[in-house]
Amino acid sequence: MAVAISDIRAGDRLARLWRRSSSFVVGSTLVALLVLTALLCGVVSPYGATEVLPNAILQPPSAAHWFGTDGNGMDVFTRVLYGARYAIAIALPSAFVMVAVGVPLGLIAGYYGGVVDEVLTRMLDVLRAFPSIILALAVVSATGQSLVNVVVVIGLIDAPIFARVVRSEVISIRRSDFVASAVVTGNPTWRILFVHLLPNTIKGAAALLPLRMAWALRVSATLAFVGVGIQAPEPEWGALIRQGAEYIISGQHWVAMFPGIALVIAVFGFNLMGDGLQELTDPRLDVRK
Amino acid sequence: MLLGVVLVTFLLIRIGTRDASLMLAGPFADAAMLERIRSNLGLDRPLYEQFFIYVGHLVQGDFGLSWISGRPVIDEIRPRLVATMELLLPAFAIGGFAGASLGIASAFRYGSRFDHTSRFLSLLGFSVPTYWIGLMAIFLFYSVFGIAAAPMGRIGMASFPPMPVTGSVLIDGALAGDWDVVIDALHHLALPVAILAVIIAAPILKHSRVIALDVINSDYVSYARSCGLPPRIVRQIVVRNSLAPILTLAGSELTGTLAAVSLLELIFAWGGFGQWGLNAILSGDFAAVQGYVAVIALFSIGVFLVIDLLVLWLEPRTRS
Repeated sequence: MAVAISDIRAGDRLARLWRRSSSFVVGSTLVALLVLTALLCGVVSPYGATEVLPNAILQPPSAAHWFGTDGNGMDVFTRVLYGARYAIAIALPSAFVMVAVGVPLGLIAGYYGGVVDEVLTRMLDVLRAFPSIILALAVVSATGQSLVNVVVVIGLIDAPIFARVVRSEVISIRRSDFVASAVVTGNPTWRILFVHLLPNTIKGAAALLPLRMAWALRVSATLAFVGVGIQAPEPEWGALIRQGAEYIISGQHWVAMFPGIALVIAVFGFNLMGDGLQELTDPRLDVRK
Repeated sequence: MLLGVVLVTFLLIRIGTRDASLMLAGPFADAAMLERIRSNLGLDRPLYEQFFIYVGHLVQGDFGLSWISGRPVIDEIRPRLVATMELLLPAFAIGGFAGASLGIASAFRYGSRFDHTSRFLSLLGFSVPTYWIGLMAIFLFYSVFGIAAAPMGRIGMASFPPMPVTGSVLIDGALAGDWDVVIDALHHLALPVAILAVIIAAPILKHSRVIALDVINSDYVSYARSCGLPPRIVRQIVVRNSLAPILTLAGSELTGTLAAVSLLELIFAWGGFGQWGLNAILSGDFAAVQGYVAVIALFSIGVFLVIDLLVLWLEPRTRS
């Protein structure tokens, strides 16, 4: 009985969430699907991720190979599933780098102002005016092409965005009474920053996270497609599309098409989730008119 | 700002690069040869000295010599830039106009089915990678339907390129009165321009919708409404007030579009500035990469300047 009641409540809550932001619900579902694929691809997929099938080279989609096979005789369906692992392995750690670098920077810049603030704002101006994908391309190709480099570079390029959001929040509450009382009771500065200010300023940054993860996925796939970053035979979606590009003109579309669809679904999921999260947290957009 | 971009990329690339002389000399070079390459390129000097030498030349319009072709970077960039603009400018005009009008239109119909559909489409357009949609379009329109031109450059193999005057095949062809070339060039432009326009329209739609919503919910629009002004006039007020922020936003989108253009050029073998820049990045041609980055930064500054002037003209409030 108790279970049934909580079930009703959960369903109720979901319905209310759906009314407030359907994009959040759909987006989170897609992201959950991605995580599930990443976890289960080893179990579900019919072949190995880099298993070569010498009798099945560049086969069109069929019952044995749902998405066909590529020029090396690898099963595209399997490789697309395994690509989910790369997506997670890029999105999560680079989001971690963005937050771990950006948020403290924003706290410090907002709290102290002055030179730190000035430098940060300048850096942001530079980044805003410059296509970040090209920056990422140039830096990754120069620093060496590994998963770790891709993640770190993407995280660092995006960190200032988080710094800016946190900074403006800190500036808006820096003069409030609870900060002043924390100062006069003798809290050390790090405590004021991370215990008093952080919880009050993190909401905007958190709502930004899925959108920036979508961006991280796009950039890493773009890098791989151009030939910088993760390379075939690793089953990264961008690298898979790169493999398929040469078969497009002759009409073997499946090698490039299916990993692209997977990439779009993943990026779209994160974007929807982020859009929904902003809908839920931004009271300005809640005005129904 | 330009200095900032140049400094940041200079440092990032130079600190990160493995010894460039090793890469250029190939695996069979001896120590003396490596030394000679290093001193030729000035790599044996301290980093700050290299930077000042580079900036000193840059302000005189000297982008240095390409490490690989040995030609002046500026001579490699100039003709290719025209090819890129042939793609970028029409696509931006079409995509920007479509995005802004759809965005404002959905703001007026907030919460309606039209609004949801256009938002959904813009988010989808936002999530689709440029290069992938390019490949799929080539597959559909070239391989399957056979109506698009071959994705190999700006004109077909049967056409003779016209005498270069402006560098744009389109304009040069028209100047020479060679209408076959003009039509051929238009045929080659159609697909990449259409794709690029869609890519540009998506973010502009998303943002202009929010901007127009803010204006619609503002006090002065409520006031205009409550004064009983006809909806047509109210709509005019909203559009005029949204225009300046949308323009500012479109400016920053335009600079971001340079990445999308580069990727599309790669797919369509366009031979423009973007493709050249990507190749420079891949081959580790440091001077060319720096030139690529500097031109993009210059282009952004130019765009922001033009936009600022336009906003000044549009918005009397900003004139003080």
